[in-house]
Amino acid sequence: MSVSRLLKILVLGLALVNVATAAQAPTQVEDTIGNKVYCLCGCVTTLNHCPMLHCAEKEETRGIIRADLEKGMAEPAILQDLVNKYGEKVLAAPPAEGFNLTAWVLPGIGLLIGLLLAIAFVRKWRRPALQAAGGPAAPPVDDNVRSAVEEEMKKYID
Amino acid sequence: MNQVGAVGLIAALVFAVYGMITGAIAGKLRSPRMLKSAQRAVLGFFAMATLAVVSLEYLILTNDFHSAYVASHSSRELPLLYKIPVLWSGQEGSLLFWTWLLSIYVGLAVLLNRRKNRQLMPYIISICMGVATFFTLLTFWVANPFNQLSLATATGTTPYTPPDGNGMNPSLQFHSMVIHPPMLYLGYVGMAIPFAFAMSALMTRQLGDNWIRVTRRWVMVPWMFLGTGIVLGGHWAYHVLGWGGYWAWDPVENASLLPWLAGTAFLHSVMIQEKRGMLKVWNMVLIILTFFLSIFGTFLTRSGIISSVHAFAESNIGPWFSVFLAIIVGFSLTVLFLRLDFLKTENRLDSVASRESGFLFNNWVLLAAVLAVLWGTIFPVVSKAVQNVTVTVGPPFFNKVMIPIGLLLLFLTGAGPLLAWRKTSFQSIKRNFTLPLIFAAIVGGILFFAGVHQLYTWMSLFLCAFVAASIIGEFYKGARTRMKSGKENFFAAVYNLTMRNTRRYGGYIVHFGIVLIFVGFAGQAFRFETQGLMGPGDLLQAKDYMFRCESIDTGKKANYQFETVSLSVTKDGHALGVMQPQRRFFIAEQQPLSHVALKTNLARDLYVVMAGMDQESGKAIIHVIINPLVQWVWLGGIIVLLGTILALIPSRIERQMAELHKEQQAVAEAHHVG
Repeated sequence: MSVSRLLKILVLGLALVNVATAAQAPTQVEDTIGNKVYCLCGCVTTLNHCPMLHCAEKEETRGIIRADLEKGMAEPAILQDLVNKYGEKVLAAPPAEGFNLTAWVLPGIGLLIGLLLAIAFVRKWRRPALQAAGGPAAPPVDDNVRSAVEEEMKKYID
Repeated sequence: MNQVGAVGLIAALVFAVYGMITGAIAGKLRSPRMLKSAQRAVLGFFAMATLAVVSLEYLILTNDFHSAYVASHSSRELPLLYKIPVLWSGQEGSLLFWTWLLSIYVGLAVLLNRRKNRQLMPYIISICMGVATFFTLLTFWVANPFNQLSLATATGTTPYTPPDGNGMNPSLQFHSMVIHPPMLYLGYVGMAIPFAFAMSALMTRQLGDNWIRVTRRWVMVPWMFLGTGIVLGGHWAYHVLGWGGYWAWDPVENASLLPWLAGTAFLHSVMIQEKRGMLKVWNMVLIILTFFLSIFGTFLTRSGIISSVHAFAESNIGPWFSVFLAIIVGFSLTVLFLRLDFLKTENRLDSVASRESGFLFNNWVLLAAVLAVLWGTIFPVVSKAVQNVTVTVGPPFFNKVMIPIGLLLLFLTGAGPLLAWRKTSFQSIKRNFTLPLIFAAIVGGILFFAGVHQLYTWMSLFLCAFVAASIIGEFYKGARTRMKSGKENFFAAVYNLTMRNTRRYGGYIVHFGIVLIFVGFAGQAFRFETQGLMGPGDLLQAKDYMFRCESIDTGKKANYQFETVSLSVTKDGHALGVMQPQRRFFIAEQQPLSHVALKTNLARDLYVVMAGMDQESGKAIIHVIINPLVQWVWLGGIIVLLGTILALIPSRIERQMAELHKEQQAVAEAHHVG
């Protein structure tokens, strides 16, 4: 199977997954927002996870979400409404804009730099050995022989 | 007893300072007499720290509320099981506890090395006692648990003893909370020892194989405690906080994860140094980072710079820790820089397709995880400082960033052991990867047709199958080789194989535990929740389960009053028993708390919370969660613990190597003395 065909299947699979999760009922939207919004009672958890009994802040925020849902507002508009009322701290994750963008981008940049460093190390460690070879190239080792040697080495080195 | 404890604390401080100075002098002058004196200072420090801890426990157990600490954190009606942990439930006590655990670790290090590593020991003692000086000073100066209550009067102050204490935070009154903090602390504190070994090896230029072999064990022990503490913390959160989850990416949870991740990276990369003499500087950096993150974790837990559901003790100790962290970084990087010439790599990489590369990429992913968690945890502080805006970084951020990193790590967990050291031929790769990939593909196919369509969940379970198959394959291949060459049956072959190389096969068992934990994580995608008002006779359906309210009762225990709902549970008409969620009101603390009712098996947990009473209808508010595969997380945690213990047992090969090394060291030291 070609790589392009594999990619097509993967993209189709992802599309199917997205279709399956696209449409949400109002209660589901409320639940989704409950995972994206922090409870402001001091419990330091999301609205859905606030462990406080009879939490006034939780009920107030839920009341706003339900009222907005009844008005027909969509999820982004409801989240914006909550930010207007309580500030950005109500969101369980900072919006990816302005300085907050660094929160989202930095881990990715770190991962990328780490990968480049790892590749650079591998290249650096390999290069002197290749340069040192200099003279006539060693005869190629048969894969069967190499496999047998690896199995033997595993017994003693690991 | 307050005075006895205070005297113990002062004496411990004196011994710590003395040990730090004499240890350094013994190292500089290579004086056996000074070393002996420093070792005695360690024992003195342990004895005095123990005296202080015993004194505080005595005050707690005898309800001596003249002690400010006891009055703030205990009460008469607090059960004995929860009186002992009062020691570490508050700021002052927990810092004293930290100091005491450090005294045990350093005492053990001295005891186990009284006839070996003689050149390393002076600086090890000096560094450990330096850390001890900081914590003892902090406990004595800033957060003294032996302060007494007094009332201001016209003529000065008069001693005051309240009739009862404020009690312990109700959410801490749970059985796994009795051992969760000690486990975490054993993890945090223990990282001081490998750090001291590494610094001492650098300072004395003893950078051969020995220090790394010794240090690996000293990392594994606190790493094991830290991991166990993390799992126990999740277990506590799951049972007590009442939201049906075990990990919320809370700053304090993250603080414990950071040194564990860095320690994991070290435990992998150290193998490259042992076998190939490579990554010497990198391993030093990892040791420094792990210790730094351990202190940073304690700082985060105790300083209150970031809000946390777990921050039960907060005070103004932030500046002290900031200075101490700066000293750690400055000192360790200076020593490392001065000894860079002694850390030259001995070998070159033979191939990209090798175990060495696997470990290198494993380190890359683990360090990326450290960076992501650290950045997310401190970002609210950074945001406040830079843009003066308070932001929250919670589960949506961490889940989005960490799930791909976790999956990458899971893949490497399975792929790494399938690669050979030095170079893996294409034929070997094909042979080693084929069966695990076929097994994973079959599992993946079954899951897809069974309705698992969430991408991350599917990938997680697919990779779990791949890793599990690769681990089982490694055991099978090893056992088969033994069966061919000897007269062992399969089980004897597996046993002997494991005991011959406990480190390797213990590691595989740890990996298997991690697989089970990931299966548990994947189960969260299928979580189901519902809520309803219930009075006697009312029914509530949650998927296939039917809950019927039998009664609502009230009662009183020694330290709390409670309301409880009895719910009979049936599935497809079959009775599953009665569940009794409770709502407790703790009298001394004047705080309510839910007590979750659970019915568990490997497939799912029935998790029922009594959220409260509805004032209008007089009915109970019942919250039901069907939580699939949660038990796999706890089971995985136990297997990780067992695998680590197995890896800590010296294998036959290691024992022979140790004997040989002891002889070599004796000859070298005789030569050195001569």
